[in-house]
Amino acid sequence: MLDGLFHLFSAFETFANFNSLFNVLWATFVGIVIGALPGLTATMGVALLTTLTYKMGPDQAILSLICCYVGAIYGGSRSAILLNIPGTPANAATTLDGFPLAKQGKAGEAMGLATSSSMIGTFIGVLFLAIIAPALAEIALDFQSYEYFWLAIFGVVIAGQMCSFDDALKGWIAGFLGLFIAMIGQEGIHAEERFTFGWSELGGGIALIPALVGTFGVAEVLTVMRNRAAELATNVVDRVMPRWSDLWRYRRTVIRSGLIGTTVGIIPGVGEDIGAWISYAAARRASKEKELFTKGSREGLCAAETGNNAAIPGAIIPALTLAVPGSAPAAVLLAAMLIHGLRPGPMIMIESPDFVFQVVWMVVLATLAMGILGLALVRPLLYILRVPRERLMPVVFVLCMIGPYAITERVFDIYVTLFFGVLGFILREMKYPMAPLVLGLILGDILDKNLRRALVLSDGDFSPFFIRPISAVLWVTTALVIIAAIPAVQRATAKLMGWDKA
Amino acid sequence: MQTRPLVRADLVTGAILAAFGLAAVAESYGMPRLAERNINPWTAPGVVPGMLGVIIALLGVILASRSLFAGAFHPQPVALSPEDAAEQRAGRWRLGMCSLLCFIYAVVLVGHIPFWLATGIFVLIFIIVFEWQANDEQPVRMRKLAFAGGIALLAATIIPYAFQNLFLVRLP
Repeated sequence: MLDGLFHLFSAFETFANFNSLFNVLWATFVGIVIGALPGLTATMGVALLTTLTYKMGPDQAILSLICCYVGAIYGGSRSAILLNIPGTPANAATTLDGFPLAKQGKAGEAMGLATSSSMIGTFIGVLFLAIIAPALAEIALDFQSYEYFWLAIFGVVIAGQMCSFDDALKGWIAGFLGLFIAMIGQEGIHAEERFTFGWSELGGGIALIPALVGTFGVAEVLTVMRNRAAELATNVVDRVMPRWSDLWRYRRTVIRSGLIGTTVGIIPGVGEDIGAWISYAAARRASKEKELFTKGSREGLCAAETGNNAAIPGAIIPALTLAVPGSAPAAVLLAAMLIHGLRPGPMIMIESPDFVFQVVWMVVLATLAMGILGLALVRPLLYILRVPRERLMPVVFVLCMIGPYAITERVFDIYVTLFFGVLGFILREMKYPMAPLVLGLILGDILDKNLRRALVLSDGDFSPFFIRPISAVLWVTTALVIIAAIPAVQRATAKLMGWDKA
Repeated sequence: MQTRPLVRADLVTGAILAAFGLAAVAESYGMPRLAERNINPWTAPGVVPGMLGVIIALLGVILASRSLFAGAFHPQPVALSPEDAAEQRAGRWRLGMCSLLCFIYAVVLVGHIPFWLATGIFVLIFIIVFEWQANDEQPVRMRKLAFAGGIALLAATIIPYAFQNLFLVRLP
């Protein structure tokens, strides 16, 4: 306990300087702008910023990326409230009550509530980050190849289930395709090339950043240009400062949403959007003003914004301790940590315990900057939202091309980005969620090495995969998730519980 | 029978995935077993991709069968209002044009002419194509052109400068 406090205070010293504060301010501002602009997602923002912070020291680079991440998830609430278009997928639930509030002439109040709820959500999440991350890292030390194999399968199955509300099958297909794509290139045990078909560029495999920028950047450019242009709900902004009475009134909702968001964030690959939706649904169920939901409910807005921001520290927890990201932007963050020579995973509390607490401070600083900038820059952000997509998207596309190229300086990565952009667009049009695909890309290597290592350790015996305690928890949960998604089982359960009458 | 949305597309995708999965299994089976190196057969490179191929093929079969039962061969009702149909056509035009311009920039221009020039041309053409309105008056048109030129100039200057001079990247 005292050791943890010591690390916490010593980590603070790392950022108690002008340089860090400067990076916090600009990166959070960039994040808010990226999040606010429809078509620019948090994943894409963090991925592009990874290329721009490549030459920085590891602590300042990760600080900038986390600030951009926090800023972007919050920034998305602006376009959700003012344009009825979620700036990032995480703000989809915000549109339900944010936009009606703006239409009623309460845009300022909605933005103020979104800001305060986002701040509280992130603080709840960061509290759990500080408490759970060290404990989870200790549990993860007991993980062997059997457990890592199940963790990879569990990750894509649960992400596939939760990211696609009504069609788990498509989520699983996306997840297993991601795992398969990760098989391309030289494998990690015997250095044999797989699925390269004599193409030397594929020998190194599919790099994560080009795949992510393609899936979330290029695909988004195509989607934004295809869709109808959005119009601002209002040009007039009322009082922005949130009222404490409102926050106090919805304290139960805010705390519940913070807890839900953090928990959802911890689940591999599931992320902020699901955190917001589940928080919103829970708030609606428990509310005394159910009839106001989707018509401009302050409570609904608070729930959605607390839920998505609380998922950020939640998503960082498994990324730090298991090297398994909790969301798509956390996947980029994980890749950035590896690029900067940091080694997230079970050994993190032994090798670099300070880093975990540094991340805690990074999120805290980002949250403070988000609150200050969010409330202070209401009018400049309104102006940014008026930039026509025709003028913005070509510049975004140029950055999507040059960003991934900048890391390896291979023109091939430009083609990979383009390919994943088209693939991502098509899959999204056909209602395949992208988060499981990205998670699969990351977990593919873990699955590949650990299944083979485990089979060597057990000499081809499959029983340790099923009888070891942590393995058993993981495979039973995976099996239950799959069984629960079968329509016949859902119908039978609903009949048994009497839900079908409701 | 209730028809799911995208049911026919799902049938085709399911069939493609099943074929893809089986091809992956065949390719994995044909991968070197490295017996000459005396490796443990469980570590053969094809083990995991083969397993994933089987799973993808199975998921593809399930998707295709589900589509069949959901009425993939039944007529698919399409009921769009004239406004929606017009918007759909406009959306398709925007998507097609955007894809074409992006493809030309990424594959034809980048790497073949100086990056700053490729970027400038792309940004300029992109903005002009999407902002062009046949019924615009001359002053409006000139203002739009000036905006497009200004943004293209800024993009062609700032982006290459930032990457080349600040991030020390050798541009394509």
